[in-house]
Amino acid sequence: MPKARLFGLTAVSAAALMAFAISAFAQVKELHVMHAGGQWGDAVAKCVDADLLKEKDIKIVVETPGGYAKLAAQAKSGAINNVSTDGSTSELSRMAAEGLIEEIDWAAIDPKPMFDEAKNKYGFGSSYYSTIMAWRKGVPAPSNWVEFFDTEKFPGKRALPDYPDYVLPFAAMADGMTPEEISKGIDLDRAFKTLRRVKKDSIWWQAGAQPPQLLKDNEAQYAISWSGRVVGQEGVETSFNQGMLDVSWFVVAKGATDEQKKMLYQWFHDQTIPEKQACVAQYISYPGPSPELEKLLPKDKLDQFPTYSENKKVQWLPNGDWWFKNAAEIEKRWNEFKLEQ
Amino acid sequence: MATVSEVGEAYVSGHQRRWEGFGFLAPLLLFALIVFDVPLLIVVFWSFNDPESGFPSLGNYAAFVEAGSYARIIWRTFLIASEVTIATALIGYPLSYWISRLAQRSQLVAIGLVTMTFWVSILVRTYAWIVILGNGGILNRWLQSLGIVSRPVEFLYNEGGVAVGMINVLLPFLVLPLYAAMRRVDPRLIHVAETLGASRLQIFWRVFFPLTAAALGASMVLVFILSLGFYITPAILGGGRVPLIANMMDLLINKFARWEMAAVNSVILLIVTLVFYGLYQRLRERAA
Amino acid sequence: MSEELHSPRRQPFWLTALGLLTLLFMCLPVMIVVPMSFSSAQSLEFPPPGLSLRWYAAFFGNEVWAQAGVNSLLLAMLASTIALILGTLAAYGLVRGVFPGKALIEANFMAPMIVPSIITAVALFIVFAKLRILGTFFGLVLGHTILVIPYVVLIMQVAIRSFDVRIEHVAATLGASRILILCKIVLPNLLPSAAAAWIFAFVISFDEVVVTLFIAGTNMTVPKRMFNELIMQINPTITAVATLLIGFNILALALILALTRRGAHLRRGIV
Repeated sequence: MPKARLFGLTAVSAAALMAFAISAFAQVKELHVMHAGGQWGDAVAKCVDADLLKEKDIKIVVETPGGYAKLAAQAKSGAINNVSTDGSTSELSRMAAEGLIEEIDWAAIDPKPMFDEAKNKYGFGSSYYSTIMAWRKGVPAPSNWVEFFDTEKFPGKRALPDYPDYVLPFAAMADGMTPEEISKGIDLDRAFKTLRRVKKDSIWWQAGAQPPQLLKDNEAQYAISWSGRVVGQEGVETSFNQGMLDVSWFVVAKGATDEQKKMLYQWFHDQTIPEKQACVAQYISYPGPSPELEKLLPKDKLDQFPTYSENKKVQWLPNGDWWFKNAAEIEKRWNEFKLEQ
Repeated sequence: MATVSEVGEAYVSGHQRRWEGFGFLAPLLLFALIVFDVPLLIVVFWSFNDPESGFPSLGNYAAFVEAGSYARIIWRTFLIASEVTIATALIGYPLSYWISRLAQRSQLVAIGLVTMTFWVSILVRTYAWIVILGNGGILNRWLQSLGIVSRPVEFLYNEGGVAVGMINVLLPFLVLPLYAAMRRVDPRLIHVAETLGASRLQIFWRVFFPLTAAALGASMVLVFILSLGFYITPAILGGGRVPLIANMMDLLINKFARWEMAAVNSVILLIVTLVFYGLYQRLRERAA
Repeated sequence: MSEELHSPRRQPFWLTALGLLTLLFMCLPVMIVVPMSFSSAQSLEFPPPGLSLRWYAAFFGNEVWAQAGVNSLLLAMLASTIALILGTLAAYGLVRGVFPGKALIEANFMAPMIVPSIITAVALFIVFAKLRILGTFFGLVLGHTILVIPYVVLIMQVAIRSFDVRIEHVAATLGASRILILCKIVLPNLLPSAAAAWIFAFVISFDEVVVTLFIAGTNMTVPKRMFNELIMQINPTITAVATLLIGFNILALALILALTRRGAHLRRGIV
């Protein structure tokens, strides 16, 4: 081969390899996590991650969405790409039951004052949120879950979360279970009965941004959605009645290195600072678990918050123990159901 | 007197060993073995892997047959693939025929357009159908503004919408080879038929169509094979309600972490693909 | 002779109508997406109410898209280059070589094009996971390379086949080794075809979605992000990305055509 061509080829290869090596190197001080993203994710990026990068040189790289299934798939593949994910109380219980996560070292986090209910052996409580019903302005308004899943009296498509944790309780209530019964346990048969009944009218969403979009585009007329995405949105009506109030937990994936855990705990610590929580609350109505937060919240938007007393009254909290005990059964039946589509 | 090239050829063949030229293949062969062949073999092994005992067994295949859900999805995939193939052929054959009979310059433009659409990324093409067929999309707005319907028609998130998207993507795969085959039809045969007094219709059905039938068959088989493996279009236009084999395999790997069943599905899809590919090759040889 | 016998006759009206409609159907996506990328509206509206470059600004200004673009470019360059080197060597061996099992080996090289990409995706996922290279950029390069190899081998086979073998015989008579013949005689004349093959591979790698979705891990590429965005929310920024991709693909196609034409001229010029 002529010398010039050989030299050219070598130069290009060397440049490529260098770029490749640099990109590999640059990944050292990055912390890869998964969470629901969206407005909450953007708010946290602005209010927490930006300062973390400036002060401590830690870059938070987010993959959306997160959740139980992705963590389980990641664990099985052996490639722990993401060190943490968010999840509901039920997802937290299932993750713990399946041995996917490690215990939280609260001493290492050294958090600012937090409500006790947001401190779990396996989870770091980062915010309160609700899962509620929403519908397009103009269609008949459902007042409870029986009506929500009644496709005859309330015709239209339902946008439902593609996660057992966020849809099974409501489906069971549609078959007649009460919130008190739900807090003891969910009758899976009744839940799946409802879901199979409305199968033709269901559209499944995976990202929190989808339900309000589907409602706006008129692809769905009713939706189960996370509260911050839909309350106060134009053209969308919501109700906290019989909604699920919950804490959004962050976990530590089993197999995370000490270095990664250190960065993760630093990120958790920063999230407990009341001023940062107030900053996040400006963008989306998911309050953090700081006792100091209440006085910093915007007064005119208080009724949008899931923890607001009027809203809190009509909601219920999930029972982590039940989800822990029945984790395997839930997974099996959900997979079967999904494959029936 | 021997020419230079004859001497050269003798020189080369004299120096030929049994594995002449193999060295050039060796690097790629090694690469392909490691990155492609071995992984496929491993998938086959996984399909026989019993997660509990760790010994090979037919248990996964038994589970595959028992669980109605897999069969249902495979059946639906075959059904949609067949419908799409037939529709593509019905639309694509007239198009190829029409193009092949245009003026030279128009032919170039038309084939250029077809080739151009073929080159556009499948994501882009699939996405455009959301804009067109969605409830708030162009078609619905147009229908509603004309008063033809009062509420939006559900074009998306069902088999129909997925099929339309698939046909749109697959048409070039049928049109381009078919057009090439049509151009190869010996025009003298047509002339002879005309001279003998055959009508236009007779010429088409008894002369032209039989000559292009093999190419049409080959293209249809190709479209069918491609349809079986479709992932993106059903994922995006189906909204999770039209899972085909590929989408199911995605669920099995990325959501349910059931690698064994994904492997079983892979093996079955692979065997079916290879069988039809053999058919495709045979038809292509007949068409040439 | 073929010109006059293929001369256009008047085609039946219904056939022309059908042909035009079908052609319209095929071009519809492009015709819709491109104007929409210049739309000033917040949501998907067609025809766009006004013109604006805001979605292009949104794309170029967004850090995630920028990272995805860089990754895609780097990935495509690496995969195409490796594929070109390995594939050209192999194509030469396939065309000029004589040894048992050649057909089988050729089929092996073509296989990634025939096997549905979902199967390749699953296979690589499982193997890469076990080898602990799942989600690495290195794994992505491997995956993309094997996917574009068939196209490179095909194109280079055609190019080498149309290169007059007698010239190689002459060189052999003069004492040149096979390697020397390949590097100093065959390759320089195949440069246009090689460039075309490289561009072809580049575009295929750049547009690759399915295998990437499975093995990329946290590495973001342009198609991967587009797919995620499409599944999750209809953000008009996608129309800008789509239009850029269309322009990019068409440019590549034009380049390839120009190169193959030049290559044909070159080869004709030799004999």
